[in-house]
Amino acid sequence: MGFGALWAYRLRSFFVVLGVAFGIASLTLIVTAVDGANRKAVEMVEMFGPDAALLFGGDFRKRAVGTRVLTLSMDDARRIENSLPGVKLVVPMRMKPGQTVKLGSRNYQDVQVVGATGDYAGAWNWPLAEGRDISDDDVAHGAKVALLGGTVVRELFGEDSPVGQVVFIANIPFQVVGTLVTRGASGGGHADVDNRVIVPLSTLMQRFNLDRKYFRAIRVKFLDAEHMDAHVENMRSLVRHQHHLTPEQDDDFTILTADEILKFLSMFKGGLALFLGITATIAILVGGFVLANLFSLSVSERSEEIGLKKALGAHRSAIMVQFLVEACGLTLMGGVLGLFMGLGLGQFLSRLDILTIQFSWKAFFLALAGSQAVGLVFGLKPAKQAADLDPIRALRGEG
Amino acid sequence: MDPAIRLADISKTFFRDNDRKNGDEPEGIPVLKSVTLDIARGEFVSLQGTSGSGKSTLLHIIGLLDRPTSGAYHLLGDDTAALDDDHLSDLRNKNLGFVFQSFYLIPYATALENVVLPGLYSRRPQAELTARARTLLEQVGLADRMHFKPARLSGGQQQRVAMARAMLNNPDIILADEPTGQLDSTTSGEIIKLFRQVHESGTTIVLVTHDEHVAAQAQRIVRIHDGRVVEDKPTGA
Ligand SMILES: Nc1ncnc2c1ncn2[C@@H]1O[C@H](COP(=O)(O)OP(=O)(O)OP(=O)(O)O)[C@@H](O)[C@H]1O
Ligand SMILES: [Mg+2]
Repeated sequence: MGFGALWAYRLRSFFVVLGVAFGIASLTLIVTAVDGANRKAVEMVEMFGPDAALLFGGDFRKRAVGTRVLTLSMDDARRIENSLPGVKLVVPMRMKPGQTVKLGSRNYQDVQVVGATGDYAGAWNWPLAEGRDISDDDVAHGAKVALLGGTVVRELFGEDSPVGQVVFIANIPFQVVGTLVTRGASGGGHADVDNRVIVPLSTLMQRFNLDRKYFRAIRVKFLDAEHMDAHVENMRSLVRHQHHLTPEQDDDFTILTADEILKFLSMFKGGLALFLGITATIAILVGGFVLANLFSLSVSERSEEIGLKKALGAHRSAIMVQFLVEACGLTLMGGVLGLFMGLGLGQFLSRLDILTIQFSWKAFFLALAGSQAVGLVFGLKPAKQAADLDPIRALRGEG
Repeated sequence: MDPAIRLADISKTFFRDNDRKNGDEPEGIPVLKSVTLDIARGEFVSLQGTSGSGKSTLLHIIGLLDRPTSGAYHLLGDDTAALDDDHLSDLRNKNLGFVFQSFYLIPYATALENVVLPGLYSRRPQAELTARARTLLEQVGLADRMHFKPARLSGGQQQRVAMARAMLNNPDIILADEPTGQLDSTTSGEIIKLFRQVHESGTTIVLVTHDEHVAAQAQRIVRIHDGRVVEDKPTGA
């Protein structure tokens, strides 16, 4: 007989399953999204490097309209490299987004072209997949050589090796000298870090019509990661001095470190967890109340069955267990359905680049435990109601 | 040996819930008035009486589904007043079998599953229960209907399933409240034949009925009127 009653009352069962499923789906989404955000944070810190800081032109914390963004010059970069203690590497960053890369008759659009000094791989903790890096020589001569990111390689070359081939960027021929490993941290779309081509900084500045004096950003790598706070403070004084800022004036630049990225991410994570947490709680409560109400109705409709079972010798506890098992059976189905709904929705949001979702066993067990808790908590009252029925009245249908 | 059933000075008064809530002195409706009755083991007794005379109420007390307001009831030698609910459940399960006027089969379960039901509360192995249920269904002539759900069985067939269910745990006593009340006279005759067979195998039977013909099949008729035993005579059957 088992779950015969659940099938006999299948429409009702369906609503219970659905209600619980929505709750568990939100719960799954929270857990996977928070896990995803954690993983993303770790990834970003690794990518960024714990020993590095990024210096941006313009103060984008309190950015007034019309403030200058292009405030960092080649001179600033040189001063940091020569005068700031503990500095290992200074890489001025220039880029030109939205370029078209051509191979023969094939086009790939909207690629980010990044200018690099020598040793791009080392400066960005970004290993090469194949070939060689941009050399100091390339930079000195403004050579037309390029490193391709994973997405560009895949789109233009598929499985073939691009090293040694010639591609056209903005109709200028470049020889491919190497490729970067695919990082693929954030799926497709604009945030695709692998959708890039690296060329020598000098070449970029000469051929791509960029402002010759100023940089959007400078990347600074230090010898050790331990005294980052001090390093950042020193760099700030140095750049303020370089820019002749008086004590009353605000910074006209921003320094970003892995630590600060983490701080921002944890704020974002907290907000996300709160929002989804409220949603999940409401959904689970709704599912629970649907369960409690429909089961109460079930108990009165099935009073004849309950009375009969008591007459035939069922203890109070046996009736309670029967209804709790039915409730938990339904919420288990709801939990499993909700888990898949949550993971599916997560996948979808990942694709849209809104969230990063990562399946985890934690989510799996939380979904199951959550659904069982709903079954027990909200099934308890109807189950007690059933167990308390007077068998004679129940048999007369006076549940 | 103790009688199967010993009722001594049993009364039952129903109180309406409203009376108590209003704080009024509860004015109960006395339904059974000082009923004293012994039923020996192996007897086949029918309870007769007009509608509202208290037959079902008495049968519920005998069946441990309800407690008397006053008086003592010994079932198979045990004083039932001293027993808690779980004990009463166990006695119903092991020693009593019930057959009701409206069959009370579980609609979403097959005939076989319905017959097995009381076994689920008695911790007997499933295989043994199923085997016993099959034998009983064969005995009541439903060998070819075991996997039918109640909706596909006639009234007479449903009552046979209910009888097989009542016999599953080999009870000492079978209690039946108008078991033929919903059946035509031919089918009713077949069901009564079954009761006689069960009785011949040694089971005590207490059967409530309006029907004189049905009552005449018992060994003894106890007539109730207005909550009292007014006649108690053997039939010579
Ligand atoms: N729970 C109850 N509360 C109040 N009164 C009740 C209750 N149960 C039964 N009665 C009353 O007790 C009286 C006897 O009822 P009972 O069901 O025992 O009669 P009966 O002899 O079985 O009648 P019938 O032949 O119609 O089935 C009736 O007047 C009935 O209204
Ligand atoms: Mg009656």
